Amino acid sequence: MTTLKSKHTLSWGVAAAILLLGMLVVTPLIFILLTSVTPDGEWDWLAPLQVIADAQMSQVLVNSLALGFWVVIGATLIAAPIAFLAARTDVSRHKWLDVVLIIPFMTPPYIGSMGWILFMERRGFLEQLLPWTEHVTPAFFSLFGMVAIMSLHLYPFLYLILRNALQQIGSNYEEAGAVHGGGFAYRLRTIVLPLMVSSYAMGALLIFVKTLAEFGTPATFGRMIGYYVLTSDIHKYTSSWPIDFGKATALSSVLLSACLFIWYVQNIISRRYHYATVGGKGNRMTMTALKGWQRLAAWLYISLLLLASIGVPYFSILVASLQKLRGDGLSWGNYTLANYTKLLQWGSPGLDALLSSFGLALCAATVAAILGTYLALHIQAGRRFSERIVDAFSLLPNTVPGIVMVVGLILLWNAPGMPIPIYNTSVMVVLTYVVFFLPYTVQYVKSGLQQIDTSLTQAGRVFGGTAWYTLRRVVLPLLIPGILAGWMMTFTISIRELVASLLILPPHMQVSATYIFAQFEQGEVAMGMAMAVISVGLTTLILVFMNNLSAIRK
Amino acid sequence: MTKMQKWSKVSKIFVLVLVCAFIVSACGSNQAGTNGNGQEGAQSAAEPTANTTQSANEEEAEDKQPSGKVVIYSAGPGGLAENIVEGFKAETGLEVEQFQATTGKILARLEAEKNNPVADVVVLASWPSGMALKNEGATQSYTGAAQADKLYETWVDEERHLFGYSASALGITYNTKLVDEPPTDWSDFADPQWKDAVNIPDPSLSGSALDFISGYLNQHGDKGWDMFEELKNNGVALAGANKEALNPVITGAKSAVMAGVDYMAYSAIAKGEPVGIVSPASGTVINPRPAMILKEAPNVENAQLFIDYLLSDEAQGMVAAANLLPGRSDIRAHEDRTQVADIKLLEYDWDWMMEQGPAITNDFLELYK
Repeated sequence: MTTLKSKHTLSWGVAAAILLLGMLVVTPLIFILLTSVTPDGEWDWLAPLQVIADAQMSQVLVNSLALGFWVVIGATLIAAPIAFLAARTDVSRHKWLDVVLIIPFMTPPYIGSMGWILFMERRGFLEQLLPWTEHVTPAFFSLFGMVAIMSLHLYPFLYLILRNALQQIGSNYEEAGAVHGGGFAYRLRTIVLPLMVSSYAMGALLIFVKTLAEFGTPATFGRMIGYYVLTSDIHKYTSSWPIDFGKATALSSVLLSACLFIWYVQNIISRRYHYATVGGKGNRMTMTALKGWQRLAAWLYISLLLLASIGVPYFSILVASLQKLRGDGLSWGNYTLANYTKLLQWGSPGLDALLSSFGLALCAATVAAILGTYLALHIQAGRRFSERIVDAFSLLPNTVPGIVMVVGLILLWNAPGMPIPIYNTSVMVVLTYVVFFLPYTVQYVKSGLQQIDTSLTQAGRVFGGTAWYTLRRVVLPLLIPGILAGWMMTFTISIRELVASLLILPPHMQVSATYIFAQFEQGEVAMGMAMAVISVGLTTLILVFMNNLSAIRK
Repeated sequence: MTKMQKWSKVSKIFVLVLVCAFIVSACGSNQAGTNGNGQEGAQSAAEPTANTTQSANEEEAEDKQPSGKVVIYSAGPGGLAENIVEGFKAETGLEVEQFQATTGKILARLEAEKNNPVADVVVLASWPSGMALKNEGATQSYTGAAQADKLYETWVDEERHLFGYSASALGITYNTKLVDEPPTDWSDFADPQWKDAVNIPDPSLSGSALDFISGYLNQHGDKGWDMFEELKNNGVALAGANKEALNPVITGAKSAVMAGVDYMAYSAIAKGEPVGIVSPASGTVINPRPAMILKEAPNVENAQLFIDYLLSDEAQGMVAAANLLPGRSDIRAHEDRTQVADIKLLEYDWDWMMEQGPAITNDFLELYK
């Protein structure tokens, strides 16, 4: 088969895929780089660096990097113990923990941050519950608080990666060490840690990039404490007067380069420090049963973690959405459902925003599912150069920070003389969502594809099926779970997407995320929080429903 | 056929499906509530020429039923802007697309859309920002505006580009649960008892805050900067748009907000929130909120109808009901608030403020960041 393949250097379909991705993903990024090196229409390779050299701009860059560093530390401190507990002790019996621990990541960060602000501010919910905390709460409004909020949002990534790595190492190696007389610390230092390095580095860099790219928390909490980072400044220069696209693209180029560089380092690390731990012998896990104080400490830790990462933000969101008068705080009789009824009234701006969100997300998810499947089918095993290019391009939006991608898309589609007039229409929004979330579908379908044994397609062919027939009757049906998973993922995160919606929505349109954001800025916080409850609640319900559905199918 | 050839056939079909999907999604999202699409761009390109011939012959234009749509960029306030649009729709039957944001964001959007203008009418919350647009040549004159002569003299320009259909005064809003002795003037906030307890809206977002800051600097010059520096040293914090600055005062996280728009405070008081408002002794700024027709407006005639509506009795009544100051001098403001005649003003000159606006914004942000 390989000999047959090599005869064709570039197939029609792969070429089309590269062309499409080139237009959707790569060209916007090239536009950013071009704009940043041509500040008054003239070539100046150093222009972005000059912008960054400006004292204020370099401070912003330093802020971003420092934030990334501290959030990696914070997320590690949070995730390491829970990953150990879930991988190696009988805490793992509690399967519900797996689902619950993911919730913080599924909470949109701008909503979570608002929850924290309402909870911790002067005379906020915490001080109303426990008045003596008023001496502590001001300290929260600092870099420490920002790191805490972001770590509590991002730790699930690191948790999943570390837990899987710990599970894969298995206990054989450790037992071997113990048999030969190694103590716990010795085993940790010489066996577990080296085996973990690669996974941890991957996770840490992922957290670092996610922090650099994060917009929601800097836009709410960061602005409040005066901690400005790259993303919030890019947003400022593109959306509030006086705007400065030169600075915005320069900062975008810097952010883009940083993320691509980290992604490259990540690749090197994962290749260099890779040990084969999965052998033919099979992996045996021994679960340590926790006893006495260990058990107590473990569950105390878990409850504190859940309280901080889920309890606090959701408490604030719920309470704020139910308040009659915000000035009366937490007092009996100050609760009402009026905000919800006002929000869901027919023809109200809130309901319109919610419906637009669903419509756009539906379109985006469908297009992304079709496009992603098409791309994944062409990537195949990624043996050839052209296929690897398709692979890399289609995963690029995952590496590039959202706000950078959006700035690029604006530059491209709003360029003078652009023949396709979709800028400022809802098609543009759908296109942006698709570009943003394409990697999810591609990944899901690709992994589904890899699980299909070639003997199945070969069997189809032996019995005279054409390629199209085999695809339709053998491959696609087997891929459906992957496509559906990609569809679901795109649908739910499209509904919550903030940064693309803020910058790209046509003038008269609002979606739930921008509605919430606008309520914090100009409207009623209570209405914004009610919308947050409804949109997060609905998407979660849909996820659960679809999960159950696919469970029944199986 | 080799495998690859077959695959390429498959991929052709996929590309077809893809194209279909794009078309379907375009239609689908249209139903989801939009109309701003390609065809309309083509239509609107043709419309201005048609409109100019029509407005040359106004009688003929009046006989004709208005049709099509009008696109409005409005710097709030939320409820009022929506009510006005609803009223306008009911009266004219026109379709209205409205984008609501802060003054800063609207100006940014206009700038970003220079290549492909879509807006017809812009309503800002800052008079100098409106004048700046006019000076750039971005607006057009509408001399035929009905009732424009009833506006306060300084709330409309001679060439009839800017119509100050409403206005707000900048005041000091404080939390009545936390403050026993309300402040009487701006400089009070330099006092240690107000340490870290005061917000001021961000002038790069809030047009009205910019008007106050530049108006104050216009009268006091460098001494004005000295005061802002003292306030900064006493922990006065920059806090986003008007509502963002006011919210923490309502909940008690901050004690007061300076240079916040007064109508928001009156509305909060009416709702029962524990806040009060003072008009500072040394004077303040009343900033008319200008409505303008853009030069590149695709639907000029409808835009003019909208301006007429803004100055009508009905819309002016809505302005009063929203606790703003109505632009027409013959219509009284809401009885629970101070009237125009009772507000002491600083001495300021809009032209100076307009010229200095961007520089003041930058300097102020630098000082407060």
